[in-house]
Amino acid sequence: MRDRHLKYLLVLPAVVVVFATAIWPLIQSLILSFRTWKLSKSHVPGPFIGWENYSWALLEEPDFWNATVVTTVYTVLTVGCTTLIALGIALLLAPGGRLRLTVRTLLILPFAMSPALVGVSFRFMFNPEFGLFDAFFGLLIPPLAEVSWLADPTLAFAVCVMADIWGWIPFITLVLIGGIAALPKETVEAAYVDGASGFEAFRDVMLPQLAPVLAIVIILKSIFSIKTFDQIYMLTNGGPGTATQTLAHYAYFNGFKYYDMGFAASVAWIMVLPMIVLTYFYTRYVFRRG
Amino acid sequence: MAGVRLKDVTKRWGAVIGVHNQSLEVRDREFLVLLGPSGCGKTTTMRMIAGLEEPSEGEIWIGDRMVNDDLPKDRDVAMVFQNYGLYPHMTVRENIAYPLKVRRVPKSEWEERIDRAAARVQLGDLLERKPRELSGGQRQRVAFARATVREPKVFLMDEPLSNLDAKLRVSTRAELKHLQHELATTTIYVTHDQIEAMTLADRVAVMSDGIIQQLATPEEIYDNPANLFVAGFIGSPSMNLIAGETNNGSFLAADIELPEVGGGSRKGVVLGIRPEDLTVVEAGSGHFDAPVYATELTGEAILVTVVVGSQHVCARGPRHMRKDIGELVGIHADFSHAHLFDSATEERIARSS
Repeated sequence: MRDRHLKYLLVLPAVVVVFATAIWPLIQSLILSFRTWKLSKSHVPGPFIGWENYSWALLEEPDFWNATVVTTVYTVLTVGCTTLIALGIALLLAPGGRLRLTVRTLLILPFAMSPALVGVSFRFMFNPEFGLFDAFFGLLIPPLAEVSWLADPTLAFAVCVMADIWGWIPFITLVLIGGIAALPKETVEAAYVDGASGFEAFRDVMLPQLAPVLAIVIILKSIFSIKTFDQIYMLTNGGPGTATQTLAHYAYFNGFKYYDMGFAASVAWIMVLPMIVLTYFYTRYVFRRG
Repeated sequence: MAGVRLKDVTKRWGAVIGVHNQSLEVRDREFLVLLGPSGCGKTTTMRMIAGLEEPSEGEIWIGDRMVNDDLPKDRDVAMVFQNYGLYPHMTVRENIAYPLKVRRVPKSEWEERIDRAAARVQLGDLLERKPRELSGGQRQRVAFARATVREPKVFLMDEPLSNLDAKLRVSTRAELKHLQHELATTTIYVTHDQIEAMTLADRVAVMSDGIIQQLATPEEIYDNPANLFVAGFIGSPSMNLIAGETNNGSFLAADIELPEVGGGSRKGVVLGIRPEDLTVVEAGSGHFDAPVYATELTGEAILVTVVVGSQHVCARGPRHMRKDIGELVGIHADFSHAHLFDSATEERIARSS
């Protein structure tokens, strides 16, 4: 009998910590999203206003929809490009691939950098006066010499996407190298002997076996892309205008620039919805594999 | 249908030599077994024939075509892997159909050929299953069916039975032999199991250290091993190899003198004689006496290991004989199948000279 109670007692500290640091703030922000709280007027939250914050975001705010479109395009581009490029690199670097890099650790370097640092360095790289990339592109393609990368809405967005891909390729590549290395070698060799070309062996034998790992990579990367904030904040701060403003940046902007805490909380909770869907699939894949 | 020829093939990885200057001719429709301990280069030799490894030097011919620069898919060989190598995401039917698919065989022929290949190895009702739903023996059958669904020039089999349990291995061995006879296709088979080699092969190539030590029929290899390695590797229990010298046709080693063995007079000689040619008799009535070291009952006979000098010698006794450890017994030797080897070169030397 005592054992039955003891086990709950033993996990209690962990439960308390998780509740205090994760669940309690979540509940607070959810409650906040149904209240009005202008930090510029009062330091205590105001009255409950029902779904008004949500309806304001969804129905009255073109900037919210702009941020949603930016986030969606950003996610599709970064997830797609990162996965494709990382898969290509992983195929070259995996055991039995064409390249042998004994110092694969070098590869992880960009991932070891904080996203904010990636943002700052890319901002400098594309600086019109002394940026390395700016000068480099100008040299390669002269018409681009006069382009001010971060001042043009489309190009600024492209630079954000590039910085994200650059930062994420190493990690995704490592995960995929692991996945490729775990494939049974004989299946691919059997395909070659059966008469498959390199591409056919990849398409018919490697890719289907790699699908679970690819699914996890895509879901995981999508979650991270949707909640991108720090990199954008340091690189363009959402600009020019709102051209690179993601939902996370939009929520931050409303909370800490306009001090509209209740509205910011509702935006954050709208973002949670796609995350829940993705997390559901992610955990399902992970636990099915385990 | 085609033979396979290796001309001075060498495989090196850096300083490590896997296969050393190997030449080998496999005849059309022959069942050739590459036999040797692990690491002897037998699998590497097969993988070079399949095109999965590139030889460092030398030429590989299949039929009348040099295939060194051909991709595996262009060599028209089929291979059965030790771990089956089945495609886990495909059904048995899709697995067997894959060679037809990538070789652009018209779809109208698929069903008949798949059914024929599946029937040959009794897979009929398993076609819609996934490999993970099959037992080891069934998976091996799928691998055979996939290899036989088209008519390749050469079958390559890399220890295909080693993952099966002992009983299944024996029955599959017989089926395999029948299958090869039926298909009449050149087959190269890699194994470390000498029983498999003896039972299956038309000819056996015994390999060690990347070199073929002897290439001959199973009988020839068993009766006339070319050197000490082959003599010790083939046969179970293995051949007794007793170091000593000859003097005027008599073999001399510590504690024993065996007359009329042959070999003239020379030092550094190893006498090779199989346990079945040594019979345990009462002390004093054989060629020599020796104390018992251990006895093992095999069922149809008893194996008695005795101590001769510092060496162990294994002999056979009748099944009802019981001897205690340390007891003195006599050993009667039949020299008609005995061999002499030079202990320096390890080659067999003629007994008549």
